[in-house]
Amino acid sequence: MGGGSADSVPPIERAQMGEGGCFLETAGVEASAAPRAPRASEASSFFRKVRYLFPLLLEVPAPSLGVPLQVTAEVMNVGVAHSEVNPNTRVMNSRGIWLAYIILVGLLHVVLLSIPFFSIPVVWTLTNVIHNLAMYVFLHTVKGTPFETPDQGKARLLTHWEQMDYGLQFTSSRKFLSISPIVLYLLASFYTKYDAAHFLINTASLLSVLLPKLPQFHGVRLFGINKY
Amino acid sequence: MATAAEQWVLVEMVQALYEEKEELIEEWQPEPLVPPVSGDHPALNYNVVSGPPSHNIVVNGKKCVNFASFNFLGLLDDPRVKAAALVSLRKYGVGTCGPRGFYGTFDVHLDLEDRLAKFMQTEEAIIYSYGFATIASAIPAYSKRGDIVFVDRAACFAIQKGLQASRSDIQLFKHNDMADLERLLKEQEIEDQKNPRKARVTRRFIVVEGLYMNTGTICPLPELVKLKYKYKARIFLEESLSFGVLGEHGRGVTEHFGISIDDIDLISANMENSLASIGGFCCGRSFVIDHQRLSGQGYCFSASLPPLLAAAAIEALNIMEENPGIFSVLREKCKRIHKALQGISGLKVVGESFSPAFHLQLQESTGSREDDVKLLQEIVNHCMDRSIALTQARYLEKEEKCLPPPSIRVVVTVEQTDEELERAARTIKEVAQAVLL
Repeated sequence: MGGGSADSVPPIERAQMGEGGCFLETAGVEASAAPRAPRASEASSFFRKVRYLFPLLLEVPAPSLGVPLQVTAEVMNVGVAHSEVNPNTRVMNSRGIWLAYIILVGLLHVVLLSIPFFSIPVVWTLTNVIHNLAMYVFLHTVKGTPFETPDQGKARLLTHWEQMDYGLQFTSSRKFLSISPIVLYLLASFYTKYDAAHFLINTASLLSVLLPKLPQFHGVRLFGINKY
Repeated sequence: MATAAEQWVLVEMVQALYEEKEELIEEWQPEPLVPPVSGDHPALNYNVVSGPPSHNIVVNGKKCVNFASFNFLGLLDDPRVKAAALVSLRKYGVGTCGPRGFYGTFDVHLDLEDRLAKFMQTEEAIIYSYGFATIASAIPAYSKRGDIVFVDRAACFAIQKGLQASRSDIQLFKHNDMADLERLLKEQEIEDQKNPRKARVTRRFIVVEGLYMNTGTICPLPELVKLKYKYKARIFLEESLSFGVLGEHGRGVTEHFGISIDDIDLISANMENSLASIGGFCCGRSFVIDHQRLSGQGYCFSASLPPLLAAAAIEALNIMEENPGIFSVLREKCKRIHKALQGISGLKVVGESFSPAFHLQLQESTGSREDDVKLLQEIVNHCMDRSIALTQARYLEKEEKCLPPPSIRVVVTVEQTDEELERAARTIKEVAQAVLL
């Protein structure tokens, strides 16, 4: 990708914010600047911070160009040679994994439904809670990789969520995995008829699985839990 | 640690950055492809050797006695070794054309690994096809980011590259100074007590050489083993110079000190010195060595050792096992020339008396390294004129972590007769007196 006007850079996401009605674009920039428009005096220092990341700015990553491109480009590389340093970063982009995830949640729900003692509200709350518990354990607790990576253990202290797409935020998989507990929560709220006790349990469970997904919580370990 | 989250960037700022990019491209000046180098750089004035670097070496057309090649047991020119290599050459051809995992494993490789494991009395051994790559692949296979390695300052360049590749925390301790190492280990212990959860996932290693190539001294292995058990660190022992030299049967520095080989976690050596082959090996417990079969970069991603060299190494091992007397003979010769070279005015002998590779350093340095190197090179040239082939110890000066002072490295082999040793000592004395005074 060469130089040229910024309009030629394909935008990943357009969000209209209140500040002067300008379009904001996302870029994978490892800068310590706060996410607000810096004033002219600090613009130069900001430039200096991001100067060495020119290639990153210009190479806007492809996966978010559009859904059709993603489905054909990303394939599950099982049993073939690949140059991916850490395959964990690409697992949730593999072909068919979103469908498998949905089917798995559906299977969990059907198994719970087949237990004769549980009423429908209890089953939905249980589905929601068990799904969120499993998601918390696999995405936000277990760290590192089950295989050796050629980068001498760069991801040894990172959870799977933090490893996804090498830390790039707001990718499609991350959005999918953030929305699925919300969808489950809405369904559970409906089927429990907004009962107070169920509401408390479901909301607490949803929060426990949504908070770690925020970009602000990337790499954060509260009270030193799960740090090493 | 974690990468920072994505940041939002204004379109105007991105445009300004593009303009700045154009400016940077305009003002960039390329560096010359070849940096200017002085005419007397050693790489431009090399000596040409015709024929094998055996006991009598032909340098620049002049026949000299070889005091520079690491041919400790004289197996480079041994007829039995050459015959075994020729037989293997006719059977297998020259190269293996593949790494160990991809049709590059031959029965001679497995044989050699078996023989080495039996010789060193360990469970398993693994062969690398290049001596430098042996320890440089072994260290990063076990030590990763966040692990701690305590290494001697005089460690050779291969160890330094292995440590660099491992991305671990390196703690250097003064050469052969066990008090310094204990101090570092104690400090680490205090850190560990402050943060026990981090300490539980941190691996600690001590990397030492049996006989140091840069100084010719021996490592104090009994104290090291005591420290290992006290502070719970693993020892990696690099025995390139001590394999086939020290010990009653040539098994290296563990036999020399009488330490059980199970106390050392990994022994690594290259076969390019005593065994007069190419490549290197690591030996230890199966649990440890087997890991390198998938994680040793030099093992998985390099072509395997040519079978003729593996066969030559097996024959060399046979010879070593048949005459265990050569090791004490070699050590006697080392002691003799060490004694004979004492008392040269201007040069001091650095190294153990039984070390076959020791250094002659200037007693008082002139102040600049280039002048020292020039002075030593004069001595070497004069010795070469009197048909004693010596060499200076060369280093990549910008890349070494702790650059040793310039020195002449003298190597003793079993093939050198007593007269030759006396003559060499006399020649060096006379040349040193002539040049340095």
